[in-house]
Amino acid sequence: MAVTLELSNIAKRYSKKVWGVKKMDLQVKNKEFIVLLGPSGCGKTTTMRMVAGLEEVTRGTILLDGKDITDKAPRDRGISMVFQNYAIWPHMTVFDNIAFSLKLQKIPKKEIRLRVEDTAQMVKIQELLERLPGQLSGGQQQRVALARALVVKPKLFLMDEPLSNLDAKLRVIMRTELKAIHLKTGATSIFVTHDQSEAMSMADRIVIMKDGEIVQIGTPDDVYFRSASVFVAGFIGTPPANFFNVHCHIDGKDITLTNENFNLSISRERFENLADYEGKNIILGIRPEDIEIVEESEALFSNEIMVIEPQGSHQVVALNVSDNIVKMIVPAETKLQYNDTLFLNFKMNRLHLFDSDTELRIN
Amino acid sequence: MNNSIKRNIFRSARLTSLYIVVAGIALIIIFPLFFLFSFSFMSDYETYSEWPKPLVPSVKAEFMIDKDSEGYHLYIYNKSKKDFAGFGPISFNNSETDLTKLSKYIKIQANCKISIEDINSYLSIVDRDGEIRFSARKDLFANYILFFQVTRDAGPSVLRSLMVALFTILISLSIGGMAGYAFARYFFKGKNILKIGVLFVRMFPAVSIAIPMVIILAKMGLTDKPLGLSLVYAVGQISMSIWVTASVFMSIPVSLEEAALIFGTNRIGAFWHITLPLALPGLAACAMYAFIGSWNEVISAIVLTQFNPTFPVVVYKALIRSQSQVNLITAGSITQALPAIIFTLIIRKYILQMWGGVKV
Repeated sequence: MAVTLELSNIAKRYSKKVWGVKKMDLQVKNKEFIVLLGPSGCGKTTTMRMVAGLEEVTRGTILLDGKDITDKAPRDRGISMVFQNYAIWPHMTVFDNIAFSLKLQKIPKKEIRLRVEDTAQMVKIQELLERLPGQLSGGQQQRVALARALVVKPKLFLMDEPLSNLDAKLRVIMRTELKAIHLKTGATSIFVTHDQSEAMSMADRIVIMKDGEIVQIGTPDDVYFRSASVFVAGFIGTPPANFFNVHCHIDGKDITLTNENFNLSISRERFENLADYEGKNIILGIRPEDIEIVEESEALFSNEIMVIEPQGSHQVVALNVSDNIVKMIVPAETKLQYNDTLFLNFKMNRLHLFDSDTELRIN
Repeated sequence: MNNSIKRNIFRSARLTSLYIVVAGIALIIIFPLFFLFSFSFMSDYETYSEWPKPLVPSVKAEFMIDKDSEGYHLYIYNKSKKDFAGFGPISFNNSETDLTKLSKYIKIQANCKISIEDINSYLSIVDRDGEIRFSARKDLFANYILFFQVTRDAGPSVLRSLMVALFTILISLSIGGMAGYAFARYFFKGKNILKIGVLFVRMFPAVSIAIPMVIILAKMGLTDKPLGLSLVYAVGQISMSIWVTASVFMSIPVSLEEAALIFGTNRIGAFWHITLPLALPGLAACAMYAFIGSWNEVISAIVLTQFNPTFPVVVYKALIRSQSQVNLITAGSITQALPAIIFTLIIRKYILQMWGGVKV
């Protein structure tokens, strides 16, 4: 697949000490759906605004279809964008909003009408074309913003937290529709969000950012099962991964990870990278669904239930493991009670091991 | 049950007393204005010879002529005395000079046009019947016409005032609007100090800076010219415009402009297509303030004009010069108030939008 967008070494500096984006390299393939994910202030929106041309680039180049667009005006870039607050022009009808860019391109009126109506059909607002945005609900305004961005058939489609102003139910519906629209139009898309479940459900590849830098780029499976750092493992997943500080002891073929609660023996074959960590502390990460309830004889450790949070399809159980809240996911059928003692073990093939200094992945 | 009736009575009593107070306040404000308005349509006779004053001006006057040995006598119906009272010369005969004088007198005092021929025909009826009563339509706008006839320069001064107002709007809105946009959209050092600083020009009374103003305008060759006067007004209005337009532009999200940038236009286009239409109510309010401010201003205008006064100056001079002609002055005042009222009505829609809370 051909590369559509290429960001090389771009950075954004607001003032002497304030960096929006420190260093960013990214290649977006044709028809790919990329999600920029990170906590607020990590530079994901800044990155998108630089791609859109709304923010000047301090350093680096942006290539779109092989052409340098770093210093081009936003309108000459062949991009379109959906804004977080929709940014629908309140003094124009829905039709005028969608047709704005087509009118500026001096496209014949008949064709404009045709294209606007087609797009409106796609986002299901064909009955609202003559209304003013003030008469629309938030979800409908979102659809107008989407139609306005889709109608220009951009090379690159940017979405800046487009779902964050919608209520929770509508957000999930729009998520599905957005993905369906993407599959239908095949527009190369960049989507910014701080909601990891949104990112997981929509992305072809997720770019996880922190403090103006990329932490990991990968498919949803990559970032979930092979999280590159403690930060990623702690950011992705509901609830996110649990962490334990463990001491690594290597004895011949056996590796033992110990802390005050458990002694975990793992075979050396699977964790060859651990060889250098003899006698050192490392961080063990385990996802909530990878903690299993087992018979007492097979238990790694036992603990009392602190809180049970039923979710319908499953239940989240919180344990207090030496002042460290550990959450695990238990099937809904398992009958549990407050203060029950659980015997627990980890799924051995799902362990995440991180260096305690760099917080980067070891295995 | 009983309790709820009591509560209802109490509530309606409270509401009624509130309305009475509000109506009273409104009356106190409106009544003098109404009287001013009413006066401007009264003839001299109504103004000075009837007491208590009628609330509304009459549309016609009733006259009576009778005859005795000394000659003819003219009477006018006095509404406050509810009787005919002597009017004009004690007696007159049907000579040409007497009748001409009489016709003029009626026109000036009662604002009625009665020709000599009409009087002659009335007199012939008096000769036959001994007396006649007749009524004549009052010329309602006589005071207005007379004001512009007797007050030197009133007509051209209205034009000059309009020019001054127009220039003031143009200067203050273009400069103030641009500054307001900059204040709303950009961050720069000393922004807040500068924003408060522009208000300083409003803190000096016009009289206190009149002399330097005259000197500066004289050096620019703009004394006694509408443009010079509007420059002076604009200085004050600009700061007002800056504050109003800055808040208007601030209320328009930047992302609306950014969306326009992305969807095919440049910064100027984004301003033209998006920001300007949305800011129109605020700009209209600014224009209104500038208009009313410059149209009604007297003090600077007195100092800075000499042979080309603006209309308020003309009205003011008429007011201090005339000892008696109250109804003429009121006609001038109403003439001065009218454009401001009309202008406000025209842009009322936008003002309502602005302070009625338009959602962007």
